[in-house]
Amino acid sequence: MFWRGFRAIMPLYLGIIPFALAYAVTARAAGLGILETQALSVLVFAGASQFSAAPLLGAGVNGLAIILTTFLLNVRHLLYGVAVARVLPNMTWRERIVGAYFLTDESFGTFLASGVRDYRFLLGASISLFVSWNAFTLVGALASSLVPDPNALGVDLVFPLSFLALLIPVLKARVEWFVALCSGILAWLIVPRLPAGLGILMVGIAGSLLGAILTHNEIPTENIHLEDATREVA
Amino acid sequence: MNFWLTVLGMLVVTFGSRLAGMFLTKPLPAFWNRFVRFVPIAVFTALITPSLEGTRGEGLPRLLAAIFCGFLAWRTKQLWIGLFVGMLGFWLLRELF
Repeated sequence: MFWRGFRAIMPLYLGIIPFALAYAVTARAAGLGILETQALSVLVFAGASQFSAAPLLGAGVNGLAIILTTFLLNVRHLLYGVAVARVLPNMTWRERIVGAYFLTDESFGTFLASGVRDYRFLLGASISLFVSWNAFTLVGALASSLVPDPNALGVDLVFPLSFLALLIPVLKARVEWFVALCSGILAWLIVPRLPAGLGILMVGIAGSLLGAILTHNEIPTENIHLEDATREVA
Repeated sequence: MNFWLTVLGMLVVTFGSRLAGMFLTKPLPAFWNRFVRFVPIAVFTALITPSLEGTRGEGLPRLLAAIFCGFLAWRTKQLWIGLFVGMLGFWLLRELF
């Protein structure tokens, strides 16, 4: 099950590899050493915030500003954690901590889209991403002068496309399509006008609220089963 | 501020965000259960739409590639098919426009 999750991420390597290389090249160009470049990939493990932080760290910008931006960029993971804990209510403390450390957009999306309700699948997907991101951070950091510019290739399109391919199978009921449509329009309007990360968080909350309000007549099914199962185990 | 201290702060806010939700163990009220069901839908849409157009004037080929990708993901339920065809389509279309 671990390897099933590990393999499920592999199509995304198409985007992850050039971006790990690009991040490493950016960080090295900004004056970070190989160790510092790698440390961000191991310890922070969040592509967008590493990209935005590397030049600032190199320039010696105030650390608090960098930390606040990182927080805004990553606070949406709180919502992912809640969703994972709902789907896998029987996780141990250790699994929650390890699972959280490696949780990303990609592993969360792949896990939910797979329909597999197994912690090992989630962990496999997360570790697959961690290993590839870090391996190619190292390659890029060591060979920073040889790597071509991935933006010129347009490889950044891989990320919206992969999120789209993960999202579509989740959309079944009409209300889910409607919430996606409204969230998309709202994001298109507000995300470019707000600090990075804040707009995504606001759309995430507004869209989920809209969905919860629109489904107030619905009888929850999956969650009842999960909670019954938890109670039986307990 | 020192490099390593800043990285420690980045680690705390990132890992903290990832961890906080995971420790919600009590059953949620029905409203919040329904809220959580829509989280991936709302957040992923918010990640997709603002970045579709790109910044290099390639909006149309990128949008068409996304339509191929979305259609194939819907028909096949396979991530890699939508992704590869979408990217190939983009590279071809980019030459045409």
